[in-house]
Amino acid sequence: MSVGMILLAIASVLVLFGVGQRVLDKMQLSDRAALILMAVIFFGGLLPDIRLGMVSVNIGGALAPVGVCVYLLIKADTKKEVARALIGSVVTAGAVYALSFLMPDEPEAIVIDPNYVYGLAGGAVAYILGRSRRAAFICGVLGVLLADALVAVMNWQKGINQMLHLGSGGAMDVVVISGLIAVLLSELVGELLERMARPGRENKDPVYTPVKEGKRK
Amino acid sequence: MKKALICALLLCLMAIPALAEEGDEQTIYRIVDEQGETVTWYCGQPEVGDEYIAGDNRHFRITGVDNTRRTAQADTLGVYEMPDVSWLYQDALPVASRQKAVAIYCTHSDESYEPTDGKSSDEERGGIYDVAEEFKAALEEEGITVYYSDETHHPHDAGAYRRSRATAVNLVEKGVDAVMDIHRDGIEDPDSYESTVEGEEMTKVRLLVGRSNQNAGANKAFATQIKAVGDEMYPGLIKDIYIGKGTYNQDLMPQAVLLEFGTYTNNKEDVLASTGHMAQVMNKTLYGSVSGAQAAEKQESKGAFGGIIWLVVLAVVGAGVFAFVSTGNGKAALEKWKGTFRELGGSVTGKKK
Repeated sequence: MSVGMILLAIASVLVLFGVGQRVLDKMQLSDRAALILMAVIFFGGLLPDIRLGMVSVNIGGALAPVGVCVYLLIKADTKKEVARALIGSVVTAGAVYALSFLMPDEPEAIVIDPNYVYGLAGGAVAYILGRSRRAAFICGVLGVLLADALVAVMNWQKGINQMLHLGSGGAMDVVVISGLIAVLLSELVGELLERMARPGRENKDPVYTPVKEGKRK
Repeated sequence: MKKALICALLLCLMAIPALAEEGDEQTIYRIVDEQGETVTWYCGQPEVGDEYIAGDNRHFRITGVDNTRRTAQADTLGVYEMPDVSWLYQDALPVASRQKAVAIYCTHSDESYEPTDGKSSDEERGGIYDVAEEFKAALEEEGITVYYSDETHHPHDAGAYRRSRATAVNLVEKGVDAVMDIHRDGIEDPDSYESTVEGEEMTKVRLLVGRSNQNAGANKAFATQIKAVGDEMYPGLIKDIYIGKGTYNQDLMPQAVLLEFGTYTNNKEDVLASTGHMAQVMNKTLYGSVSGAQAAEKQESKGAFGGIIWLVVLAVVGAGVFAFVSTGNGKAALEKWKGTFRELGGSVTGKKK
Protein backbone atom coordinates (compact mmCIF):
# COMPACT_ATOMS: atom_id res chain seq x y z
CA MET A 1 0.00 0.00 0.00
CA SER A 2 1.33 3.41 -0.95
CA VAL A 3 2.05 6.16 1.58
CA GLY A 4 -0.85 8.14 0.16
CA MET A 5 -3.28 5.32 0.80
CA ILE A 6 -2.02 4.77 4.35
CA LEU A 7 -2.45 8.50 5.05
CA LEU A 8 -5.93 8.40 3.48
CA ALA A 9 -6.93 5.46 5.72
CA ILE A 10 -5.59 7.29 8.82
CA ALA A 11 -7.41 10.50 7.81
CA SER A 12 -10.69 8.56 7.33
CA VAL A 13 -10.42 6.99 10.80
CA LEU A 14 -9.54 10.35 12.40
CA VAL A 15 -12.51 12.11 10.80
CA LEU A 16 -14.89 9.32 11.89
CA PHE A 17 -13.41 9.44 15.40
CA GLY A 18 -13.67 13.22 15.55
CA VAL A 19 -17.26 13.39 14.29
CA GLY A 20 -18.27 10.47 16.55
CA GLN A 21 -16.70 12.11 19.60
CA ARG A 22 -18.42 15.44 18.91
CA VAL A 23 -21.80 13.74 18.46
CA LEU A 24 -21.52 11.54 21.57
CA ASP A 25 -20.34 14.58 23.52
CA LYS A 26 -23.85 15.98 23.02
CA MET A 27 -25.45 12.85 24.53
CA GLN A 28 -25.09 13.80 28.21
CA LEU A 29 -21.57 12.39 28.22
CA SER A 30 -18.32 14.08 29.20
CA ASP A 31 -15.69 14.73 26.51
CA ARG A 32 -13.54 11.91 27.86
CA ALA A 33 -16.46 9.45 28.13
CA ALA A 34 -17.45 10.25 24.53
CA LEU A 35 -13.91 9.54 23.38
CA ILE A 36 -13.74 6.26 25.32
CA LEU A 37 -17.11 5.21 23.90
CA MET A 38 -15.90 5.96 20.38
CA ALA A 39 -12.85 3.78 21.10
CA VAL A 40 -15.19 0.99 22.30
CA ILE A 41 -17.19 1.30 19.06
CA PHE A 42 -14.00 1.28 17.00
CA PHE A 43 -12.08 -1.53 18.73
CA GLY A 44 -15.23 -3.48 19.68
CA GLY A 45 -16.03 -3.52 15.99
CA LEU A 46 -12.81 -5.43 15.34
CA LEU A 47 -13.78 -8.23 17.76
CA PRO A 48 -15.58 -11.31 16.43
CA ASP A 49 -19.39 -11.15 16.36
CA ILE A 50 -21.49 -12.86 19.03
CA ARG A 51 -23.52 -15.58 17.25
CA LEU A 52 -26.98 -16.49 18.51
CA GLY A 53 -28.48 -18.95 16.02
CA MET A 54 -29.28 -17.01 12.85
CA VAL A 55 -28.38 -13.69 14.47
CA SER A 56 -24.90 -12.22 14.61
CA VAL A 57 -24.25 -9.20 16.85
CA ASN A 58 -21.18 -6.99 16.83
CA ILE A 59 -19.97 -5.30 20.01
CA GLY A 60 -18.81 -2.02 18.46
CA GLY A 61 -21.35 -1.82 15.66
CA ALA A 62 -24.49 -2.75 17.62
CA LEU A 63 -24.07 -3.36 21.36
CA ALA A 64 -22.19 -0.13 22.12
CA PRO A 65 -24.59 2.17 20.17
CA VAL A 66 -27.61 0.33 21.65
CA GLY A 67 -26.02 0.76 25.09
CA VAL A 68 -25.88 4.52 24.49
CA CYS A 69 -29.56 4.44 23.43
CA VAL A 70 -30.55 2.59 26.62
CA TYR A 71 -28.55 5.10 28.70
CA LEU A 72 -30.29 8.00 26.97
CA LEU A 73 -33.72 6.46 27.49
CA ILE A 74 -32.99 5.92 31.21
CA LYS A 75 -31.72 9.49 31.56
CA ALA A 76 -34.72 10.96 29.70
CA ASP A 77 -36.53 13.67 31.68
CA THR A 78 -40.07 12.49 30.97
CA LYS A 79 -41.92 9.35 29.87
CA LYS A 80 -43.18 11.37 26.92
CA GLU A 81 -39.60 11.81 25.73
CA VAL A 82 -39.04 8.04 25.97
CA ALA A 83 -42.25 7.35 24.05
CA ARG A 84 -41.31 9.85 21.34
CA ALA A 85 -37.89 8.27 20.88
CA LEU A 86 -39.32 4.76 20.68
CA ILE A 87 -42.14 5.71 18.29
CA GLY A 88 -39.58 7.63 16.27
CA SER A 89 -37.41 4.51 16.06
CA VAL A 90 -40.31 2.45 14.70
CA VAL A 91 -41.20 5.17 12.17
CA THR A 92 -37.52 5.45 11.15
CA ALA A 93 -37.37 1.66 10.72
CA GLY A 94 -40.37 1.96 8.38
CA ALA A 95 -38.66 4.78 6.51
CA VAL A 96 -35.41 2.79 6.17
CA TYR A 97 -37.40 -0.20 4.90
CA ALA A 98 -39.31 2.03 2.48
CA LEU A 99 -36.19 3.80 1.21
CA SER A 100 -34.53 0.44 0.54
CA PHE A 101 -37.38 -0.45 -1.80
CA LEU A 102 -38.07 2.93 -3.33
CA MET A 103 -34.50 4.05 -4.04
CA PRO A 104 -32.74 2.72 -7.15
CA ASP A 105 -30.98 -0.58 -6.52
CA GLU A 106 -28.79 -0.91 -9.62
CA PRO A 107 -25.35 0.59 -8.98
CA GLU A 108 -25.43 2.80 -12.11
CA ALA A 109 -28.73 4.33 -11.02
CA ILE A 110 -27.93 5.24 -7.42
CA VAL A 111 -28.32 9.01 -6.98
CA ILE A 112 -27.32 9.40 -3.34
CA ASP A 113 -25.79 6.56 -1.43
CA PRO A 114 -28.59 4.85 0.54
CA ASN A 115 -26.22 4.28 3.47
CA TYR A 116 -26.20 8.05 4.11
CA VAL A 117 -29.93 8.50 3.59
CA TYR A 118 -31.01 6.32 6.54
CA GLY A 119 -29.41 8.70 9.03
CA LEU A 120 -31.12 11.66 7.34
CA ALA A 121 -34.46 9.84 7.74
CA GLY A 122 -33.75 9.18 11.43
CA GLY A 123 -32.79 12.80 12.04
CA ALA A 124 -35.87 14.11 10.21
CA VAL A 125 -38.27 11.80 12.07
CA ALA A 126 -36.70 12.62 15.43
CA TYR A 127 -36.88 16.33 14.75
CA ILE A 128 -40.55 16.19 13.71
CA LEU A 129 -41.49 14.12 16.76
CA GLY A 130 -39.47 15.72 19.50
CA ARG A 131 -36.88 18.24 18.32
CA SER A 132 -34.30 16.31 20.25
CA ARG A 133 -30.77 15.29 19.29
CA ARG A 134 -30.89 12.44 21.80
CA ALA A 135 -34.01 11.09 20.10
CA ALA A 136 -32.25 11.56 16.74
CA PHE A 137 -29.41 9.27 17.83
CA ILE A 138 -31.87 6.67 19.13
CA CYS A 139 -33.96 6.84 15.94
CA GLY A 140 -30.88 6.59 13.71
CA VAL A 141 -29.45 3.58 15.55
CA LEU A 142 -32.59 1.63 16.49
CA GLY A 143 -34.32 2.49 13.20
CA VAL A 144 -31.63 0.75 11.13
CA LEU A 145 -31.43 -2.23 13.51
CA LEU A 146 -35.23 -2.69 13.50
CA ALA A 147 -35.34 -2.43 9.70
CA ASP A 148 -32.62 -5.09 9.43
CA ALA A 149 -34.57 -7.34 11.81
CA LEU A 150 -37.77 -6.79 9.79
CA VAL A 151 -36.03 -7.76 6.53
CA ALA A 152 -34.56 -10.85 8.21
CA VAL A 153 -37.98 -11.99 9.47
CA MET A 154 -39.45 -11.51 5.98
CA ASN A 155 -36.59 -13.52 4.46
CA TRP A 156 -37.05 -16.33 6.97
CA GLN A 157 -40.79 -16.39 6.26
CA LYS A 158 -39.94 -16.92 2.57
CA GLY A 159 -37.66 -19.81 3.53
CA ILE A 160 -34.44 -17.89 2.82
CA ASN A 161 -31.91 -18.87 5.50
CA GLN A 162 -29.98 -15.64 5.60
CA MET A 163 -28.01 -14.59 8.66
CA LEU A 164 -29.16 -11.41 10.40
CA HIS A 165 -26.07 -9.25 10.98
CA LEU A 166 -26.52 -6.48 13.50
CA GLY A 167 -23.79 -3.87 13.27
CA SER A 168 -21.28 -6.40 11.90
CA GLY A 169 -19.43 -3.62 10.07
CA GLY A 170 -18.26 -2.24 13.44
CA ALA A 171 -17.49 1.49 13.47
CA MET A 172 -18.03 1.60 9.72
CA ASP A 173 -21.45 -0.02 9.93
CA VAL A 174 -24.55 1.82 8.76
CA VAL A 175 -25.92 1.62 12.35
CA VAL A 176 -23.14 3.89 13.62
CA ILE A 177 -23.08 6.14 10.54
CA SER A 178 -26.86 6.54 10.69
CA GLY A 179 -26.81 7.52 14.37
CA LEU A 180 -24.13 10.15 13.75
CA ILE A 181 -25.81 11.61 10.65
CA ALA A 182 -29.20 11.75 12.43
CA VAL A 183 -27.74 13.84 15.27
CA LEU A 184 -25.86 16.14 12.88
CA LEU A 185 -29.01 16.73 10.82
CA SER A 186 -31.20 17.40 13.84
CA GLU A 187 -28.53 19.74 15.23
CA LEU A 188 -28.22 21.64 11.94
CA VAL A 189 -31.97 21.95 11.33
CA GLY A 190 -32.63 22.75 14.98
CA GLU A 191 -30.02 25.51 15.14
CA LEU A 192 -31.17 26.92 11.80
CA LEU A 193 -34.85 27.07 12.79
CA GLU A 194 -34.05 28.44 16.26
CA ARG A 195 -31.94 31.16 14.69
CA MET A 196 -34.68 32.08 12.21
CA ALA A 197 -37.26 32.21 15.02
CA ARG A 198 -35.19 34.55 17.21
CA PRO A 199 -36.14 38.26 17.20
CA GLY A 200 -33.96 40.38 14.90
CA ARG A 201 -32.44 42.47 17.70
CA GLU A 202 -30.87 39.41 19.27
CA ASN A 203 -28.96 38.78 16.09
CA LYS A 204 -27.36 42.19 16.45
CA ASP A 205 -25.60 41.02 19.57
CA PRO A 206 -23.97 37.81 18.45
CA VAL A 207 -21.81 37.09 21.47
CA TYR A 208 -20.98 33.42 21.56
CA THR A 209 -21.37 31.89 24.98
CA PRO A 210 -20.48 28.21 25.19
CA VAL A 211 -23.37 26.12 26.47
CA LYS A 212 -22.85 23.03 28.55
CA GLU A 213 -23.98 20.52 25.95
CA GLY A 214 -25.18 18.02 28.55
CA LYS A 215 -27.82 20.49 29.66
CA ARG A 216 -29.37 20.57 26.20
CA LYS A 217 -31.66 17.91 24.85
CA MET B 1 -51.82 17.06 15.25
CA LYS B 2 -48.75 14.97 16.02
CA LYS B 3 -50.87 11.87 16.57
CA ALA B 4 -52.46 12.39 13.15
CA LEU B 5 -49.00 12.79 11.61
CA ILE B 6 -47.77 9.55 13.18
CA CYS B 7 -50.92 7.69 12.05
CA ALA B 8 -50.42 9.01 8.50
CA LEU B 9 -46.78 7.91 8.55
CA LEU B 10 -47.71 4.43 9.74
CA LEU B 11 -50.44 4.11 7.07
CA CYS B 12 -47.91 5.12 4.39
CA LEU B 13 -45.52 2.45 5.67
CA MET B 14 -48.20 -0.23 5.37
CA ALA B 15 -48.53 0.56 1.65
CA ILE B 16 -44.82 0.18 0.96
CA PRO B 17 -44.67 -3.52 0.01
CA ALA B 18 -47.31 -2.93 -2.70
CA LEU B 19 -45.37 0.07 -4.02
CA ALA B 20 -42.19 -1.95 -4.02
CA GLU B 21 -43.72 -4.70 -6.15
CA GLU B 22 -44.91 -2.12 -8.68
CA GLY B 23 -41.48 -0.56 -8.85
CA ASP B 24 -39.58 -3.76 -9.58
CA GLU B 25 -39.32 -3.13 -13.34
CA GLN B 26 -35.89 -1.90 -14.42
CA THR B 27 -35.56 1.13 -16.67
CA ILE B 28 -33.02 1.04 -19.46
CA TYR B 29 -31.53 4.33 -20.67
CA ARG B 30 -29.59 5.08 -23.83
CA ILE B 31 -26.64 7.45 -23.54
CA VAL B 32 -26.05 9.47 -26.71
CA ASP B 33 -23.22 11.78 -27.74
CA GLU B 34 -23.43 15.23 -29.37
CA GLN B 35 -24.18 13.63 -32.77
CA GLY B 36 -26.99 11.51 -31.34
CA GLU B 37 -24.94 8.32 -31.68
CA THR B 38 -25.45 5.68 -29.00
CA VAL B 39 -22.53 5.61 -26.58
CA THR B 40 -23.85 2.86 -24.31
CA TRP B 41 -26.97 1.39 -22.72
CA TYR B 42 -27.40 0.92 -19.05
CA CYS B 43 -29.83 -0.07 -16.37
CA GLY B 44 -31.30 2.78 -14.31
CA GLN B 45 -31.58 6.53 -14.58
CA PRO B 46 -28.30 8.34 -15.21
CA GLU B 47 -27.46 11.50 -13.31
CA VAL B 48 -25.97 14.71 -14.58
CA GLY B 49 -22.27 14.59 -13.73
CA ASP B 50 -21.87 10.83 -14.12
CA GLU B 51 -18.80 9.90 -16.15
CA TYR B 52 -18.21 7.14 -18.62
CA ILE B 53 -15.01 5.79 -20.15
CA ALA B 54 -15.88 3.72 -23.22
CA GLY B 55 -14.04 0.63 -24.40
CA ASP B 56 -11.99 2.79 -26.80
CA ASN B 57 -11.21 5.18 -23.89
CA ARG B 58 -13.44 8.01 -25.11
CA HIS B 59 -14.40 9.98 -22.02
CA PHE B 60 -17.93 11.33 -21.54
CA ARG B 61 -19.84 13.28 -18.93
CA ILE B 62 -23.64 13.21 -18.67
CA THR B 63 -25.03 16.72 -19.17
CA GLY B 64 -28.76 16.09 -19.48
CA VAL B 65 -31.38 13.41 -18.98
CA ASP B 66 -34.67 13.05 -20.91
CA ASN B 67 -36.89 10.78 -18.83
CA THR B 68 -39.72 10.58 -21.39
CA ARG B 69 -37.42 9.31 -24.15
CA ARG B 70 -35.20 7.50 -21.67
CA THR B 71 -32.05 8.95 -23.12
CA ALA B 72 -29.17 10.83 -21.58
CA GLN B 73 -27.05 13.43 -23.33
CA ALA B 74 -23.30 12.98 -22.90
CA ASP B 75 -20.60 15.48 -23.78
CA THR B 76 -17.36 14.09 -25.13
CA LEU B 77 -14.43 15.19 -22.98
CA GLY B 78 -11.83 13.65 -25.28
CA VAL B 79 -9.80 10.50 -24.95
CA TYR B 80 -9.06 9.51 -21.36
CA GLU B 81 -5.35 9.37 -20.61
CA MET B 82 -4.92 5.81 -19.44
CA PRO B 83 -2.00 4.75 -17.20
CA ASP B 84 1.21 3.66 -18.91
CA VAL B 85 1.45 -0.13 -18.81
CA SER B 86 4.56 -0.53 -20.99
CA TRP B 87 6.07 -2.36 -18.00
CA LEU B 88 3.98 -5.36 -19.08
CA TYR B 89 6.51 -5.98 -21.86
CA GLN B 90 9.59 -5.45 -19.72
CA ASP B 91 11.43 -8.34 -18.17
CA ALA B 92 10.69 -6.97 -14.74
CA LEU B 93 10.77 -8.67 -11.39
CA PRO B 94 7.37 -9.89 -10.23
CA VAL B 95 6.12 -8.68 -6.85
CA ALA B 96 6.33 -11.92 -4.88
CA SER B 97 7.93 -10.97 -1.60
CA ARG B 98 4.63 -10.90 0.29
CA GLN B 99 1.43 -12.87 0.35
CA LYS B 100 -0.95 -11.96 -2.45
CA ALA B 101 -4.51 -11.66 -1.16
CA VAL B 102 -7.79 -10.29 -2.50
CA ALA B 103 -11.42 -10.53 -1.41
CA ILE B 104 -14.62 -11.13 -3.37
CA TYR B 105 -18.31 -11.03 -2.46
CA CYS B 106 -21.70 -10.50 -4.11
CA THR B 107 -24.01 -7.69 -2.94
CA HIS B 108 -26.94 -8.65 -5.18
CA SER B 109 -27.31 -12.29 -4.20
CA ASP B 110 -30.19 -13.07 -6.57
CA GLU B 111 -28.52 -12.03 -9.83
CA SER B 112 -28.68 -14.81 -12.40
CA TYR B 113 -28.38 -15.46 -16.13
CA GLU B 114 -31.76 -16.15 -17.71
CA PRO B 115 -30.76 -18.40 -20.66
CA THR B 116 -28.86 -20.87 -18.46
CA ASP B 117 -30.18 -20.34 -14.91
CA GLY B 118 -33.79 -20.24 -16.11
CA LYS B 119 -34.51 -16.86 -14.51
CA SER B 120 -32.81 -13.51 -14.10
CA SER B 121 -33.32 -13.41 -10.34
CA ASP B 122 -33.12 -16.32 -7.94
CA GLU B 123 -34.21 -15.42 -4.42
CA GLU B 124 -32.34 -18.35 -2.87
CA ARG B 125 -28.91 -18.22 -4.46
CA GLY B 126 -28.29 -16.54 -7.79
CA GLY B 127 -26.07 -17.80 -10.58
CA ILE B 128 -23.73 -14.90 -9.79
CA TYR B 129 -22.21 -17.09 -7.04
CA ASP B 130 -21.10 -19.62 -9.70
CA VAL B 131 -19.29 -16.75 -11.45
CA ALA B 132 -17.73 -15.57 -8.17
CA GLU B 133 -16.55 -19.10 -7.35
CA GLU B 134 -15.08 -19.63 -10.83
CA PHE B 135 -13.32 -16.26 -10.53
CA LYS B 136 -12.02 -17.27 -7.10
CA ALA B 137 -10.61 -20.53 -8.49
CA ALA B 138 -8.96 -18.65 -11.36
CA LEU B 139 -7.38 -16.14 -8.98
CA GLU B 140 -6.08 -19.00 -6.82
CA GLU B 141 -4.48 -20.52 -9.92
CA GLU B 142 -2.53 -17.26 -10.19
CA GLY B 143 -1.20 -17.87 -6.67
CA ILE B 144 -3.48 -15.38 -5.00
CA THR B 145 -5.13 -16.12 -1.65
CA VAL B 146 -8.81 -15.33 -2.05
CA TYR B 147 -11.05 -14.44 0.87
CA TYR B 148 -14.44 -15.26 -0.57
CA SER B 149 -17.74 -14.64 1.16
CA ASP B 150 -20.77 -16.57 -0.05
CA GLU B 151 -22.95 -14.63 2.39
CA THR B 152 -26.28 -13.56 0.83
CA HIS B 153 -27.81 -10.07 1.14
CA HIS B 154 -31.44 -10.55 0.06
CA PRO B 155 -33.63 -8.89 -1.09
CA HIS B 156 -32.32 -7.12 -4.20
CA ASP B 157 -33.00 -3.51 -3.25
CA ALA B 158 -31.03 -0.41 -2.30
CA GLY B 159 -30.71 -1.88 1.22
CA ALA B 160 -28.55 -4.70 -0.17
CA TYR B 161 -25.53 -2.38 0.07
CA ARG B 162 -26.36 -1.78 3.76
CA ARG B 163 -26.42 -5.52 4.38
CA SER B 164 -23.31 -6.26 2.29
CA ARG B 165 -21.35 -3.54 4.10
CA ALA B 166 -20.77 -5.90 7.04
CA THR B 167 -19.45 -8.54 4.62
CA ALA B 168 -17.18 -6.00 2.94
CA VAL B 169 -15.82 -4.66 6.26
CA ASN B 170 -15.01 -8.19 7.46
CA LEU B 171 -13.17 -8.93 4.21
CA VAL B 172 -11.22 -5.67 4.26
CA GLU B 173 -10.11 -6.47 7.83
CA LYS B 174 -8.31 -9.57 6.48
CA GLY B 175 -5.66 -7.20 5.12
CA VAL B 176 -6.34 -7.84 1.45
CA ASP B 177 -4.82 -5.90 -1.45
CA ALA B 178 -8.15 -5.39 -3.23
CA VAL B 179 -11.83 -6.05 -2.69
CA MET B 180 -14.20 -6.88 -5.57
CA ASP B 181 -18.01 -6.88 -5.56
CA ILE B 182 -19.25 -9.28 -8.26
CA HIS B 183 -22.42 -8.36 -10.23
CA ARG B 184 -24.07 -8.86 -13.59
CA ASP B 185 -25.71 -6.04 -15.57
CA GLY B 186 -29.46 -5.51 -15.99
CA ILE B 187 -29.56 -4.35 -19.64
CA GLU B 188 -31.49 -6.52 -22.09
CA ASP B 189 -29.17 -6.63 -25.10
CA PRO B 190 -26.76 -9.59 -24.75
CA ASP B 191 -24.72 -8.42 -27.77
CA SER B 192 -23.37 -5.40 -25.92
CA TYR B 193 -21.46 -7.77 -23.63
CA GLU B 194 -20.55 -10.55 -26.08
CA SER B 195 -16.96 -10.62 -27.20
CA THR B 196 -14.31 -12.84 -28.73
CA VAL B 197 -10.98 -12.80 -26.94
CA GLU B 198 -8.11 -14.76 -28.48
CA GLY B 199 -10.62 -16.74 -30.54
CA GLU B 200 -12.69 -17.72 -27.51
CA GLU B 201 -16.27 -16.55 -27.03
CA MET B 202 -16.90 -14.87 -23.74
CA THR B 203 -18.57 -11.87 -22.20
CA LYS B 204 -17.02 -8.53 -21.35
CA VAL B 205 -16.57 -7.06 -17.88
CA ARG B 206 -17.77 -3.57 -16.91
CA LEU B 207 -15.90 -1.78 -14.11
CA LEU B 208 -17.92 0.48 -11.87
CA VAL B 209 -16.66 2.99 -9.32
CA GLY B 210 -18.42 5.59 -7.20
CA ARG B 211 -17.65 9.28 -6.98
CA SER B 212 -19.31 10.09 -3.63
CA ASN B 213 -16.65 9.13 -1.13
CA GLN B 214 -13.14 9.98 -0.01
CA ASN B 215 -11.67 7.03 -1.94
CA ALA B 216 -13.26 8.06 -5.27
CA GLY B 217 -9.97 9.24 -6.81
CA ALA B 218 -8.07 6.12 -5.74
CA ASN B 219 -10.93 3.82 -6.82
CA LYS B 220 -11.02 5.46 -10.24
CA ALA B 221 -7.23 5.18 -10.58
CA PHE B 222 -7.47 1.49 -9.69
CA ALA B 223 -10.21 0.92 -12.28
CA THR B 224 -8.29 2.70 -15.04
CA GLN B 225 -5.20 0.65 -14.16
CA ILE B 226 -7.24 -2.58 -14.51
CA LYS B 227 -8.65 -1.41 -17.84
CA ALA B 228 -5.25 -0.38 -19.19
CA VAL B 229 -3.73 -3.76 -18.26
CA GLY B 230 -6.81 -5.61 -19.59
CA ASP B 231 -6.74 -3.73 -22.89
CA GLU B 232 -3.08 -4.65 -23.37
CA MET B 233 -3.39 -8.30 -22.34
CA TYR B 234 -6.81 -9.20 -23.72
CA PRO B 235 -8.35 -6.54 -25.98
CA GLY B 236 -12.13 -6.81 -25.87
CA LEU B 237 -12.31 -8.19 -22.34
CA ILE B 238 -12.97 -4.94 -20.47
CA LYS B 239 -16.18 -3.31 -21.70
CA ASP B 240 -15.88 0.12 -20.12
CA ILE B 241 -15.77 2.07 -16.84
CA TYR B 242 -18.85 3.74 -15.37
CA ILE B 243 -18.28 6.39 -12.68
CA GLY B 244 -21.60 6.78 -10.86
CA LYS B 245 -22.93 8.76 -7.95
CA GLY B 246 -23.11 5.93 -5.41
CA THR B 247 -20.48 4.68 -3.00
CA TYR B 248 -21.02 0.89 -3.34
CA ASN B 249 -19.09 0.44 -0.06
CA GLN B 250 -15.93 1.56 -1.88
CA ASP B 251 -15.34 4.10 0.89
CA LEU B 252 -13.94 1.15 2.86
CA MET B 253 -10.85 0.67 0.70
CA PRO B 254 -8.96 2.59 -1.99
CA GLN B 255 -8.51 -0.57 -4.07
CA ALA B 256 -12.17 -1.50 -4.34
CA VAL B 257 -14.07 -2.08 -7.56
CA LEU B 258 -17.45 -3.38 -8.67
CA LEU B 259 -17.22 -5.86 -11.57
CA GLU B 260 -20.19 -6.59 -13.82
CA PHE B 261 -19.67 -9.92 -15.56
CA GLY B 262 -22.04 -9.83 -18.55
CA THR B 263 -25.75 -9.13 -18.38
CA TYR B 264 -28.73 -11.28 -17.40
CA THR B 265 -29.46 -12.28 -21.03
CA ASN B 266 -25.99 -13.78 -21.59
CA ASN B 267 -25.22 -17.49 -21.32
CA LYS B 268 -23.49 -18.20 -18.02
CA GLU B 269 -20.94 -20.40 -19.82
CA ASP B 270 -19.75 -17.35 -21.78
CA VAL B 271 -19.55 -15.39 -18.55
CA LEU B 272 -17.57 -18.14 -16.80
CA ALA B 273 -15.15 -18.19 -19.75
CA SER B 274 -14.11 -14.62 -18.98
CA THR B 275 -13.19 -15.27 -15.33
CA GLY B 276 -9.79 -16.85 -16.10
CA HIS B 277 -8.72 -13.93 -18.29
CA MET B 278 -10.01 -11.44 -15.74
CA ALA B 279 -8.07 -13.21 -12.96
CA GLN B 280 -4.86 -12.86 -15.01
CA VAL B 281 -5.57 -9.18 -15.56
CA MET B 282 -6.13 -8.65 -11.81
CA ASN B 283 -2.93 -10.56 -11.00
CA LYS B 284 -0.89 -8.44 -13.41
CA THR B 285 -2.52 -5.22 -12.22
CA LEU B 286 -1.86 -5.91 -8.56
CA TYR B 287 1.36 -7.91 -8.65
CA GLY B 288 2.59 -7.77 -12.24
CA SER B 289 6.03 -6.35 -11.73
CA VAL B 290 8.00 -4.08 -9.48
CA SER B 291 7.89 -1.26 -12.03
CA GLY B 292 4.19 -1.94 -12.69
CA ALA B 293 3.38 -1.89 -9.00
CA GLN B 294 5.33 1.37 -8.62
CA ALA B 295 3.42 2.91 -11.53
CA ALA B 296 0.13 1.77 -10.02
CA GLU B 297 1.13 3.09 -6.59
CA LYS B 298 2.02 6.46 -8.11
CA GLN B 299 -1.34 6.61 -9.87
CA GLU B 300 -3.25 5.56 -6.74
CA SER B 301 -1.29 7.93 -4.49
CA LYS B 302 -2.47 10.77 -6.69
CA GLY B 303 -6.06 9.70 -6.10
CA ALA B 304 -5.41 9.10 -2.38
CA PHE B 305 -4.05 12.62 -1.81
CA GLY B 306 -7.14 13.96 -3.57
CA GLY B 307 -9.18 11.92 -1.07
CA ILE B 308 -7.28 13.38 1.89
CA ILE B 309 -7.95 16.92 0.65
CA TRP B 310 -11.64 15.94 0.15
CA LEU B 311 -11.83 14.71 3.77
CA VAL B 312 -10.06 17.71 5.31
CA VAL B 313 -12.21 20.16 3.35
CA LEU B 314 -15.35 18.24 4.38
CA ALA B 315 -14.37 18.28 8.08
CA VAL B 316 -13.31 21.94 8.15
CA VAL B 317 -16.27 23.21 6.07
CA GLY B 318 -18.72 20.99 8.01
CA ALA B 319 -17.52 22.35 11.35
CA GLY B 320 -17.62 25.88 9.90
CA VAL B 321 -21.23 25.52 8.68
CA PHE B 322 -22.35 24.22 12.09
CA ALA B 323 -20.53 27.04 13.85
CA PHE B 324 -22.02 29.68 11.56
CA VAL B 325 -25.56 28.30 11.82
CA SER B 326 -25.44 28.20 15.62
CA THR B 327 -23.90 31.66 16.07
CA GLY B 328 -25.07 33.55 12.99
CA ASN B 329 -21.96 35.66 12.94
CA GLY B 330 -18.59 35.19 11.29
CA LYS B 331 -16.45 36.20 14.27
CA ALA B 332 -18.43 34.17 16.78
CA ALA B 333 -18.51 31.25 14.34
CA LEU B 334 -14.72 31.34 14.08
CA GLU B 335 -14.47 31.25 17.88
CA LYS B 336 -16.86 28.32 18.08
CA TRP B 337 -15.04 26.58 15.23
CA LYS B 338 -11.75 26.94 17.09
CA GLY B 339 -13.47 25.79 20.28
CA THR B 340 -14.66 22.60 18.58
CA PHE B 341 -11.13 21.58 17.63
CA ARG B 342 -9.80 22.73 21.05
CA GLU B 343 -12.37 20.55 22.84
CA LEU B 344 -11.54 17.63 20.58
CA GLY B 345 -7.83 18.01 21.33
CA GLY B 346 -8.50 18.54 25.03
CA SER B 347 -10.49 15.35 25.37
CA VAL B 348 -7.61 13.38 23.85
CA THR B 349 -4.87 14.95 25.94
CA GLY B 350 -7.00 15.31 29.07
CA LYS B 351 -6.32 19.07 29.20
CA LYS B 352 -9.07 21.37 30.38
CA LYS B 353 -10.80 23.41 27.71
